[in-house]
Amino acid sequence: MKFVGTSVKRVDGVKKVTGSLKYVDDIKLSKMLYVAVKRSPHPHAKILNINFEKALAIKGVKDIITGDLFTKRGGLYLEDKNFLAVGKVRYRGEAVVAVCAITEEIAQSALEFIEIEYEVLPAVTNAKDAMKPDSPLVHPDLGEYKWAPIFFPVPGTNISNHYTLRKGDAKKAFETVDFVVENDFYVPHVQHVPIETHTAIAQMDADGFLTVWASCQSPYAVRQALSEAFDIPLNRLRVLSPAVGGGFGSKAGTTLEGILIPFAKKFPDRPVKLTYSRQDEFENAYVRQGLHARIKTGVNKDGKIIAVENEFIWDGGAYNEYGVNIAKAAGYASAGPYDIENVYTDSYCVYTNHPVGGPYRGFGMSEIHFGIEQNLDMVAEQIGIDPVEIRRINGMKPGGVTGTGEVVEVAGLMECLDIAVDEIKFYEKSESTSPTKVRGKGIACGWKAPSMPTNAASSAIIKLNEDGTAHLLVSAQDIGQGSDTVMTQIAAEVLSISPEKITIRTGDTDQTPYEWQTVASRITYSTGRAVFEAANDAMNQLLELAQIKIGLSKRDLELRDGYVVSKIYPDRKVAISELALGLTFEDGSGIHGPIIGRGAFIPPNVRNADKKTGLGEHPVVFWTYGAQAIEVEVDLETGAVKVLKVVSVFDVGKVMNPQLLEGQMEGAIAQGIGTALFEELMLKDGKVLNPSFVDYKIPTADDMPEMVIKFVENPEETGPFGARGVAEPAMVPTAPAIANAIYAATGIRLNTMPLTAERVLNAIKAKDND
Amino acid sequence: MKTFEYLRPTSLKEALDMLKKHDGNVSILNGGTDLIVRMREGHSSPEIVMDIKKIPGLDQIQVDEDRITIGATVLLNDLGLNEVIKTRYPYLAQAALSVGSKQVRNRATCIGNICNASPLADTATPLLALNADVHIYGEEGIKTVPLKDFFVFVRKTILKPTEIVTGISFKQDPEALGIFTKMSRRKEVDLSTVCSTVIRSGSEYRISCGAVAPTPVRLAKTEAFLTGKALTSEVIDEACKLASGEVTPISDIRASEEYRREMVGVMLRHALSEWL
Repeated sequence: MKFVGTSVKRVDGVKKVTGSLKYVDDIKLSKMLYVAVKRSPHPHAKILNINFEKALAIKGVKDIITGDLFTKRGGLYLEDKNFLAVGKVRYRGEAVVAVCAITEEIAQSALEFIEIEYEVLPAVTNAKDAMKPDSPLVHPDLGEYKWAPIFFPVPGTNISNHYTLRKGDAKKAFETVDFVVENDFYVPHVQHVPIETHTAIAQMDADGFLTVWASCQSPYAVRQALSEAFDIPLNRLRVLSPAVGGGFGSKAGTTLEGILIPFAKKFPDRPVKLTYSRQDEFENAYVRQGLHARIKTGVNKDGKIIAVENEFIWDGGAYNEYGVNIAKAAGYASAGPYDIENVYTDSYCVYTNHPVGGPYRGFGMSEIHFGIEQNLDMVAEQIGIDPVEIRRINGMKPGGVTGTGEVVEVAGLMECLDIAVDEIKFYEKSESTSPTKVRGKGIACGWKAPSMPTNAASSAIIKLNEDGTAHLLVSAQDIGQGSDTVMTQIAAEVLSISPEKITIRTGDTDQTPYEWQTVASRITYSTGRAVFEAANDAMNQLLELAQIKIGLSKRDLELRDGYVVSKIYPDRKVAISELALGLTFEDGSGIHGPIIGRGAFIPPNVRNADKKTGLGEHPVVFWTYGAQAIEVEVDLETGAVKVLKVVSVFDVGKVMNPQLLEGQMEGAIAQGIGTALFEELMLKDGKVLNPSFVDYKIPTADDMPEMVIKFVENPEETGPFGARGVAEPAMVPTAPAIANAIYAATGIRLNTMPLTAERVLNAIKAKDND
Repeated sequence: MKTFEYLRPTSLKEALDMLKKHDGNVSILNGGTDLIVRMREGHSSPEIVMDIKKIPGLDQIQVDEDRITIGATVLLNDLGLNEVIKTRYPYLAQAALSVGSKQVRNRATCIGNICNASPLADTATPLLALNADVHIYGEEGIKTVPLKDFFVFVRKTILKPTEIVTGISFKQDPEALGIFTKMSRRKEVDLSTVCSTVIRSGSEYRISCGAVAPTPVRLAKTEAFLTGKALTSEVIDEACKLASGEVTPISDIRASEEYRREMVGVMLRHALSEWL
């Protein structure tokens, strides 16, 4: 292959590096209005009275709205949220009143003149307590809400989804096993911290056509949500996402767009803008949900795991419209990448008065693997085998059966594991040069499936130009992962023209074709396949015309370097530029017209699992498997953990662009290290104590270890050129591998993230005192 | 950020007149890396901001035979990369270069770091241990105050509303050996969880710590215990114990009181062990 599998340079690279790429906040339109939001100071309170007359009288303030204006609830999977609070507030920072003014400063300064009277309600700030029968209810009217039938809220409680997985008979199996290892783990809330904060502009034309510019991962999902919320037909609603400065899931679905639309409706032809501050981003955009996990593993002396029983309690925060699906995804992945006969899992998404949980790279997998992979090491120690051996015995192999009862055809886990073990020299002890520091090596595996509806669809259009170049239109968003480049490579490969000859356009629901969402590590696989189909469609059209032109059968023709060429007589060829607008005969007449390739794709035969047992023949499109081996050094005096080396190996099906893929894997390691060692949204009584980079730390280049990135390529049958997704899976094993390495170095087990120096030191001291 | 009036004097006299005219109701803008952030976040809303960066002569590091003077507008990067400071007082250079990021240090000043009076000001511990003096210009002309008396409380100094710090100086002590240590959650661009400077000059020890009390502090008891003693591992053990007990840290989101106390001991042990 010429382009697929090579390190084609990023097609968006020059614009990003030079700063010329225009993000939504860069857009300046004439007569722009600005919005500021008054937020709740309480985690849980009834709104008794709002008085904004003084604020409205300020010169330059155009209008002020409250939630009473639009009381219709919305949400992706469970309709539980409003853009502005209606009747009560459910988290500290919830939007209550919005001010629209002619400048940002006026809008902001008007906020302090708005008086809101609250009746403070008892706050629910612990997900486990929230499940108790006497807990205050965050959503007392849950029973009246609408939800997708694959979710199971429990009205009258704070449980927004109770997912169950029942494979075999775990209860009985536990009675027969030689050993049982059971532990609790806690993973706190973290934030995505994209460099670009959330921002949106909305403008309604005089004829009622609404345009929304949003920094979002999924323009079509935003269009759908806004259409439903504001009763605007889809043909009169255009969502543009010109560029996204990082998403990591936080820009899936809608967050702030809806606040703007009432103003846009009121002031036709005037664009209305709202950009989140960094503090807003920490408090009011999505956060990764907290997780209380209990993992129980039953194993026999020979190392074979017979049964697992898991309980996951997700702290979903005030609104769980998206979080319910994370509880589900975690539930069906709860066995981990292991072939286990008996699996019993309850995964609960729970309302609390915390910031709103939502999709975050890994969609629950990083959180559950923190427990799964540590518990597995403890199991291994208990029966006296090493961490690699326990994974070899139980790890998924082709022909194995997943926790949801699906027979697996492709699974490169064992190959990944072997490479990781070799590269880290797992069995060689490494010594610190300092007498007060110790080193250790840890290993963890991971898996993830795209967490998406069974029928999530993609499409692509390719238009050929009369000079032999092409335009590729998709609505998959390049959120930094490099999808613009990989989509271009796929089209270039099929059409056999260089990537420079293809211009990709994305993110415009009026101009670029449907894409469900840029989430779930599905773009290379799903949109990639649509691009592949579109390019093949264009190719077929070219071959049809070429066979007339050249007089050779289509089946003997192929595309090569901008020409349709005979496979048998290479000198018989016609340039695709000559056919791009149709075929013209010698007499001047023409046929066909411009070449436009069309591609559409839905993953084949993905069917809903059984609602009660969670079992199914093919409930997810594929699983991506991988392993990481990590070496750390622990300072015994300070507790500080330094990650020395990370080996990351995944079965990606097909490496589409080695350089981009390495970048993505390295980014995942950075994010994995950040969440493992530093990151935590510190919450006290519903308040975020560290809503800025002063006290919310993510790794810098200096914190990064030596990284070894390797790939296994067992093709995904339905993926383009055999590719499957790896964006999220790449981060999954990092935190538990670090925790396992710390154990190897010090003999301490940390069941709570992040693994801060103080936490490590306290554990070391506790162990020494034992 | 609220609107404010911006003043930019070009002499100390003019600056003082401005302060007096506005009854001292003025925030002094130096590098701005603390003030502007506080203003943007609404913690500070001054009506008048006076920028002192255009006052000539304040941006110099003056090296005299017996003293070194750091002017009020000397940038942290200029201080940290100054050849004399790097060679003779590497612990001061390291402290300067441990503040924020390179970009921040290209704006931020050492004197601003001191006047901000954060308990964890990174440049405070080396300067305290160097027995530095603060030079203050006011209605009575220039006065000189020991740095240890300059800090009053968290974010509070003795500086009056009609006074400006023109610089900080310390007596040259090329024989002094010093060690600066910063402990933070992350290696770069982070605040100190605790920081310290330990100086040994002849038989005298001078120890200062940050983030362990309302202001950066000297550990007088520990210093007195050590001074004149030959270093042995027993002496070091005792000194570390003393130091941990002498500080009065609080628990906050960066660390607990206990952890900070323990780290004071660890930092001192590492420093003293260098001279065993």
